[in-house]
Amino acid sequence: MSTILKLDGVVAGYGAGDILKGVDLDVQAGTVTCLIGPNGAGKSTVLKTISGLLRPKNGTVTFRGERIEKLAPKPRLLKGIVHVPQDRSLFPAMSVWDNLLMGGYALKDQKAVKQRIAHAVEVFPICARRAHDHAGSLSGGEQKQVELARTLVMDPGLILLDEPSIGLDPKSRQQVFLSIRELAAAGRTVLLVEQNARSGLAASDFGAVLESGVVRLVATGASLLEDPAVARLYLGAASAGHGLAQATTGPQG
Amino acid sequence: MHALIQGVILGVLTAGVYALMASGQTLIFGIMKVVNLAQGAMVVFGAYLSYQLFTSWGVDPFLAIPITTVAMFVLGMAVEWAFLRPLRQQDKAELSLLVTFAVALLLEGFLSVTWKTTYRSINTGYANSSMTIAGYQITLVRLWAFLLSLGALALLFLLLNRTRFGRAIRATVQNPESARLLGVEAQRVSAFGFGLGSATAAAAGSVYGLLYAFYPGTHYDLISLLLSIVILGGLGSIGGAVVGALIVSVSSAVVSATASPTWSSMTFFIILLLVLLVRPQGLFGTPARGAI
Repeated sequence: MSTILKLDGVVAGYGAGDILKGVDLDVQAGTVTCLIGPNGAGKSTVLKTISGLLRPKNGTVTFRGERIEKLAPKPRLLKGIVHVPQDRSLFPAMSVWDNLLMGGYALKDQKAVKQRIAHAVEVFPICARRAHDHAGSLSGGEQKQVELARTLVMDPGLILLDEPSIGLDPKSRQQVFLSIRELAAAGRTVLLVEQNARSGLAASDFGAVLESGVVRLVATGASLLEDPAVARLYLGAASAGHGLAQATTGPQG
Repeated sequence: MHALIQGVILGVLTAGVYALMASGQTLIFGIMKVVNLAQGAMVVFGAYLSYQLFTSWGVDPFLAIPITTVAMFVLGMAVEWAFLRPLRQQDKAELSLLVTFAVALLLEGFLSVTWKTTYRSINTGYANSSMTIAGYQITLVRLWAFLLSLGALALLFLLLNRTRFGRAIRATVQNPESARLLGVEAQRVSAFGFGLGSATAAAAGSVYGLLYAFYPGTHYDLISLLLSIVILGGLGSIGGAVVGALIVSVSSAVVSATASPTWSSMTFFIILLLVLLVRPQGLFGTPARGAI
């Protein structure tokens, strides 16, 4: 396995305050990595810093061996980093087909875009069945499938998913995590942020715990699921009153 | 009954021009969340450009439209670059009201200095030609104006729905963050959108100059009319602008023909208030964002 993405001492935030206070994270190519942590820890901010929506004040972001922290979102997209933001990211009053076409907007070669859409439709057949329907008329689970299909149009090296299961019913949630595993099986690298930590870690090769703007722990998804401190704080085993830092170093750790 | 139908015919024909003016206004709001208070002044500027081309070189106002739209497209892009782009995103919605009002006053001043403040009208040879169908009179210039407005709206529709850049504009209206993450450059879309909105004002201005006499202060009447139309139809919705223009124009013309012209403008303000009581987002607007 090789490192496809490396964050080194990343400090970022909005206005005067810093949300990320020195994030270090390595993401291995062809794997699924899940970022978990409490609300406000900076999970979505990490993804925004990688895709270019937010520029770090300090630290470096390296993708495929190249420093990218100063690039705008579009050049990062062209390098193969696709970011699916939280909530619904489709264009609701446009057809599913137009949404897929927008997935390749940054590319000049429209023939290649159509070929990639054909491939994406094979992976996510819902796109063919509902091609002419408005994206906003699809169910939450269907919209998520179209969002994932749209990422494939850029033939991405890294897919960033912000809360992919939010607002979905249990069946659709299961389908989304299944699709994420299939993307990894096809060689894609996925970094996802997930509030539903148990499902997210179960679908991931690796997990990272973010607390107060710093990565506290990185391990395999399976071992984090079995970690009593993580289970108590983030997997609903008990109420979470303290962070992982206190939990692992405090008297109950 | 005859007066009523005659009023409806007049209202429908006039609605085309109103819809063209308002489509630019609603497009600019949809893309940039900017209520362009200079849209009326741009329409009047378009009318003056047509007037000048007609009086100096004899260019027919309909044939002048390609020239005036290109000129106003460039002016619109320049206004966006000079006055709106420097505004911080979080302040844009509020500050743009002041900025675009200032642009309207600037344009009014320029028009007053250049063409004075007396009323002007474009008197073509066919200005008073009309035909009668089943007892109802239709002035030819109004019919041509209606058809031209429909053609311009169809072009706008094709641009937005059948081109790659048009898709990017619609995407930006519906979900700006997502559009940006897919490589759409927001500044480019904003500049193009403002230019396009100004170009529709120019096309509508050429037609307006054929139908009505105008002077630099006409933009005050136009902007209140345009705001009524786009709010009635739903801010950000071009379909809504067309329907809003139809309601405003037909109700106004019918009341004018059957009751009194004094009540005509009051009528659509009453309709506007009633619609807003039931649907605060307008007929085709969405509570959150528009969808063109």
